[in-house]
Amino acid sequence: MIDFVGKRKVFILLSLLLVITGLIFVFTKGFNLGVDFAGGTEFVISSDKEVSINEIRNILSSIKSDYATAKIAKLKNLNVKNSELFQYSVVLKESLSGSTALKEELIKSMKSKFSEKDIKIDFLEFNDVSGYAAEEIKSYAWYAVIISLVLLLAYITLRFKFSFGIGAIIALAHDIIITMGFYSIFGIEINVAAIAAFLTLAGYSLNDTIVVYDKIRENMKKLRGKKSIEEIVNTSINEVIVRSINTSLTTFLVVLPILIWGGRAIAPFAFGLAVGVVVGTYSSLYIASPIVIGWIKKTKVL
Amino acid sequence: MKSHKVRVIISVVVILTALLMFFWPSKTASENTGVFKYFSNIKLGLDIKGGSMLEYNMKLDEGTDPNEIIDNVILVLRKRLDAAGYTEAVVSKVVSGNKIRVRVEIPGITDIETAEKLIGSRGKLYFAEVIDVQTSDTKPVIRRNKYVVINGKEEPIYDYVRDLYDETTWYKVQKYFTFGKEPFEFTGTEVVDANADINTRKKGFLVNLKFSSQGSKKFELITGNLVGKRLAIILDNRVIIAPVVNQKITSSSAVIEGIQTIEEARNVAALIKAGNLPVDLVKFQERTTGPTLGRDVVETIVKAGLLGLLVVMVYMIAFYGWMGVVADIALLFNSVLLLGVLAGTHAILTLPGLAGIILTFGTTVDGNVIIYERIKEELRHGRPPLTAVRFGFDKAFWTLFDANLTTVLAGVVLYYFATGTVRGFAITLIIGVLGSMFTNLVVSRAILESTSHLINVKKYQSAAVEEGKR
Repeated sequence: MIDFVGKRKVFILLSLLLVITGLIFVFTKGFNLGVDFAGGTEFVISSDKEVSINEIRNILSSIKSDYATAKIAKLKNLNVKNSELFQYSVVLKESLSGSTALKEELIKSMKSKFSEKDIKIDFLEFNDVSGYAAEEIKSYAWYAVIISLVLLLAYITLRFKFSFGIGAIIALAHDIIITMGFYSIFGIEINVAAIAAFLTLAGYSLNDTIVVYDKIRENMKKLRGKKSIEEIVNTSINEVIVRSINTSLTTFLVVLPILIWGGRAIAPFAFGLAVGVVVGTYSSLYIASPIVIGWIKKTKVL
Repeated sequence: MKSHKVRVIISVVVILTALLMFFWPSKTASENTGVFKYFSNIKLGLDIKGGSMLEYNMKLDEGTDPNEIIDNVILVLRKRLDAAGYTEAVVSKVVSGNKIRVRVEIPGITDIETAEKLIGSRGKLYFAEVIDVQTSDTKPVIRRNKYVVINGKEEPIYDYVRDLYDETTWYKVQKYFTFGKEPFEFTGTEVVDANADINTRKKGFLVNLKFSSQGSKKFELITGNLVGKRLAIILDNRVIIAPVVNQKITSSSAVIEGIQTIEEARNVAALIKAGNLPVDLVKFQERTTGPTLGRDVVETIVKAGLLGLLVVMVYMIAFYGWMGVVADIALLFNSVLLLGVLAGTHAILTLPGLAGIILTFGTTVDGNVIIYERIKEELRHGRPPLTAVRFGFDKAFWTLFDANLTTVLAGVVLYYFATGTVRGFAITLIIGVLGSMFTNLVVSRAILESTSHLINVKKYQSAAVEEGKR
């Protein structure tokens, strides 16, 4: 038997520390917002020869001086029909604001300036999100988060008890804030896929918490009066810990290769899950259940 | 025993149905290459297949109801895309809050500029009186323009418009007709139909035009005043054709004569018919993915996913012995079920959708682990294997139900609020989680109840004995 409950104050303190660190990073360093949320233009080009980031920047700034501030990154090489192609992603801060002419000019001048250097480039991907679209996606992300929280709180209250619902929501907020902190620290891009990761993480975190609560509910019926509430909670956590570890480990094992080899497109998603699984497992063992003990004690009956 | 047989039968029927949906021969099978050959029945999203998504806002005058216009916009865009050969494209209405937008999805398109020019044509189709024709490389300047008030706005009457085919020919046209009680314009909204035909009276070909009732009244007024003069038909600020008015036309139809080839006649008819976009479109967002990038990313994800899956399968067998094998069967069962449902419902598989599939592996394993831990508990209490299996499943039911329903809830909310590719994620997540509940509670149970003698009971019971000694 591992004593999860006895040391709860230490772990609650640790969690507070992590949450506060996360919040500090979120509010000072902020996020690396993708074009989904910030608006802007993002494109991926492939070239048949290796080009330095500086060269690309020079070409961009010679087309329009504003483009000099672009974010440019080299992506992994692309193997098409046995010939190696190099890939670069470019993010421009401003949207081309729906202008077909601007876009055509950008593509044409890029192609011609590269061909002057005897390099053939192709546009593999082109995303242009206007500021309005970004605003809209942002507001919807908030609606989605708030509505799912309300629904989940209602469901847990219905199936368990209000105090458990609050405990689950606290654990959930804890997981999401800490994961957001990690996004901020490592500068991982927040895009629509990252939001999907947050919502999945929410589902997973709750899933974990509910399995523990379920066991507590069962053991309270069985052991009421015989053992103290602390002991009941501790026994319950110990009984499900194998399951928690197995599930988290297997999920982590599936997500990890995707994070490593999945490439840029899926990285923001895989990162959220990889971090989230670890944090979520920790919180369901050390935070979600121990935190409701005081509450259960006061109300006594379940 | 009876319910056990029912479970076995249901499991077999479900897996056969899923396989049937997945392998049902489809027409597109030959088009797909690489890993997609095996997924020919599944509709792939633009981010995997390669293609473009363009979303437009309508630039509306105040007080105009977008609902009245949107259908017309969709129809016009549809016709334009069809005429240009993009018959696979999807044009749809997007409702977002109180805004209505139009979305165009063109799969497998490489020449996005051409398509966009076609869609984004902002001008309208209108008829105008030809005042003069000039040859010039640049647009001639109008020295003294006249103005009329149309719909409360002051508009210039004269303009120079270029010929559709000849870059150097410029028509000076009068855009608004000033005869009658008040000035008016004659736009494509008044044209109900246009088609090409052979001229039976003279040589050459012709285009038949049909007008709306209001249009024919206006047209009567125009032709009555312009006999012997040229009337230009203008689309997107290019003159398509500028026939001479021969007589006053009182009926609701007119004929354009003197066209040399049938191709030209067809072209003119198509342009007139498809040309009338009732409102300006402003691009809201655009997403284009080339086919090579999508395929490259998918192959990596599929490989990584399969590797992860393999590791998990080995892990499960190492940890749970025979029950681990059953969990792996459940995993495969649920994957096939998910693919079958995707193929059967024509849901679109996107990149985030693939991630959703990989996540359902996690849920399936999780469900099995919850159940097996219960079974192990029962075995420790010294119950015989079959009883332990039955009790384990019964006790795990509500835990599984509660735990998975929360995930489904999150998925439904995501589906409702997200658009585009993330919706694909919500779909696979919902199908996958529901599928994993079915697989765990019905399929795993059917297998384990039939094979409970294969569970290594001693391993768990001896642990219980040792615990008892302590």
